[in-house]
Amino acid sequence: MAQLSSTTGEKKPERVAVVAAGVVSPLGFGLAETLNSLRRAKDCVTTVTRFSVAECRCKTAGQIPDERLLAGPNKNQRAKRLHRASHMMIHALREAVMQVPQFEPELTIIGTTSGGMSYGEQYYRSLCRSGNLRHAPTWIANYPAQKPVIDAQEEVLGVSVPCQVIANACASGTNAIGHAFECVRSGRYQRVLTGGYDALSELVFTGFDSLQASTPEKCRPFDRHRAGMVLGEGAAILALENLELARKRGAPVLAEIVGYGISTDNFHITQPDPSGVGPRQAMERALQSAEISADEVDYINAHGTATIFNDAAEGKAISQLFNGVPVSSTKSMMGHSLGAAGAIEAVISLLALRHQFLPPNINFDALDDRLDLNVVANESRPAVVRMALSNSFGFGGTNASILIRRVEA
Amino acid sequence: MSLAIAGMGWVTPLGNSVDAVWERLLRGDEASATPISEQLADRSYSAFRVPESAVTGLAHPRLRRASVISRFAATAGLEALQAAGVKVDSQNAGRIALIFAISNGGVIYTKRFYRDVVETGAQSASPLLFPETVFNAPASHLAAILGVTGTTYTVVGDGAVGLLAIKMAEDVMMDKSLDYCLVVGTEEIDWLLCDAYRRWRLLRSAPPIEPFGKQKRGMILSEGAGAIVLARLPRRSAAEAGEGSITIECAHPGGCYGKRAEAEEILKRIVRDLSQVEVDFVISSANGTFIDQAEQGALEQVIPDAVTYAAKPAVGESVGASGLWQVILGVQALRHGELPPVLHADSAISLRLARSRMTVAGARRAIILNSGVNQQVAGLRLALR
Repeated sequence: MAQLSSTTGEKKPERVAVVAAGVVSPLGFGLAETLNSLRRAKDCVTTVTRFSVAECRCKTAGQIPDERLLAGPNKNQRAKRLHRASHMMIHALREAVMQVPQFEPELTIIGTTSGGMSYGEQYYRSLCRSGNLRHAPTWIANYPAQKPVIDAQEEVLGVSVPCQVIANACASGTNAIGHAFECVRSGRYQRVLTGGYDALSELVFTGFDSLQASTPEKCRPFDRHRAGMVLGEGAAILALENLELARKRGAPVLAEIVGYGISTDNFHITQPDPSGVGPRQAMERALQSAEISADEVDYINAHGTATIFNDAAEGKAISQLFNGVPVSSTKSMMGHSLGAAGAIEAVISLLALRHQFLPPNINFDALDDRLDLNVVANESRPAVVRMALSNSFGFGGTNASILIRRVEA
Repeated sequence: MSLAIAGMGWVTPLGNSVDAVWERLLRGDEASATPISEQLADRSYSAFRVPESAVTGLAHPRLRRASVISRFAATAGLEALQAAGVKVDSQNAGRIALIFAISNGGVIYTKRFYRDVVETGAQSASPLLFPETVFNAPASHLAAILGVTGTTYTVVGDGAVGLLAIKMAEDVMMDKSLDYCLVVGTEEIDWLLCDAYRRWRLLRSAPPIEPFGKQKRGMILSEGAGAIVLARLPRRSAAEAGEGSITIECAHPGGCYGKRAEAEEILKRIVRDLSQVEVDFVISSANGTFIDQAEQGALEQVIPDAVTYAAKPAVGESVGASGLWQVILGVQALRHGELPPVLHADSAISLRLARSRMTVAGARRAIILNSGVNQQVAGLRLALR
């Protein structure tokens, strides 16, 4: 497949197509519902019901209702034991595979932060109460981070595909897609499934609350009155394929991933370098990887957690690199789904490219005086979108950006 | 693409540093099990632990509040870089990738954090502990200590994750702007982990680990870290990459099994793929559980004459670190032409085991098999150039 450059004799990188996508998030089940929620600027953040938040500052999150998530046919005993995260992955993968039933992945690369954490919590609580530990083997078996990935493969593909699970905190989803992109671009793989997942858990919710990173108010990215993040959950899958091969076999090409940038800033384990150097390097490297200039980007799906520090660092980096490009953080509508966030936001960027609109940044009143950004405030709007940049940054100073290009039908 | 192993670092219950641990293994030493208990329950477990003194020499501010898992990783990582002669500075900070393999992660702080929440409520949750519960905390600390500014990944999985991380490193090193990739596997033990594995019928109450035993009596958990520095061969000087250097000749992408009974078939495929060329010995991940039978079946059917060595009876099951430990063992055996003795193996086992210290002089290739108990298996082939 790989071709030699006529001038340097080096292998030319392969082009990487997105041939299918699937998503489940508080915005909805599947691409159509997600698109509808984005266009309507729907606020999908609700009061937390999965566990007690009585002692937490924050009381809300973006949640996926169990009555839909766990419903459906073929719910045998095994399926009933699966963690919610497995069900999310199954929904997302099933939607993707329905678009390209003949897709045979060589590798799966998925991002997450907490696997089946809530089963670990149940196990620990039962131990503390000297309670009934009859279900402990099930909880333990469904706790590992790779389990939802393997469950989804078995349930939907019916085959075993080697999997790599990346846990780079909140950048995991974008890191997974970026690494998958590099794998196909290098010519080592032709077809890779990628994405991310995370399900809401008490431990993580309490953790962000203890850091006072989450807010009792609305999530208002880049707003002068922003007070923090709200958590979310979900899963998203992208099927990546060598573009030339995809076209040869007549597969649909939804978009093309053209660039990936990764950086590590070593400022602090939970806070970004206030200079914005980490995000800036990730975005610069994505642009270099795609061999495009910043003015070719039409939309930025920001990490935009709405914490004071993240938005300040990211906003600074964006305004240093880009000149008035529309920016939104869709976390304002669905919360921050951690390891799934980058994957869900890649799907949102894909929808923006396919349907030529800018997803909104809701709960927005006025821009932080210290930022110079063109925020897509409160409502979605039609626009020419040929190139979208999606950012994810995480604990430990991990930063990742991907660039996705529209492909004409 | 072949990658050379330019340096290694090792933190184990048998001691620190590659040469010291190797000597003890050759002598047939076995780590001492220590009891591990918890207020929550009367039951105590045995585990192979790393002595506290082994990681007290590190004084970096990022490690002040870090759990031992991060200290193990930093100790092994720094040893590997030193052995490779790699000094990270502002010139090359972006040219070194860091890939971590982890299974259970910072379980000690995770339990402490959640215990506070359960016992005294969410308002008692510690903002200092929470960041250390995140899987990539050890990688983040080492990146900060070294000043690495580019690619950093933490890969999670079961006992196979170490080799999956090396496979990932091979993919990452396709990026020509990278000179080296430091791969670190690390794990720490807590009572909670022992209890979880026991409830899953994979743990035995006290040593020994009996590899390939028919009774599948279970494993003993251990902790520590292993690290290797990978360098792209063409970039290295002839002397460095020449005669006597050891390469990752083939890193298999691995596989996932749905049911335990399927593990053998996937392992057979992996062993078949890796034994396309003549292989001299195998470093097995036998740990006294169901996975031993799967590995034995695959080896007997595909390469029945290969000599097999298993280190877990001596050092325990370190899960996320185990793959790196096995690679280090394979490298040492190829370099020194010797295998340590497999401890506690029943004489009736039909595999060709290194039952006593055994010479493998002239050996050129070794297969490393890394079988996890949570559905993942992986393998790779080392070659002596």
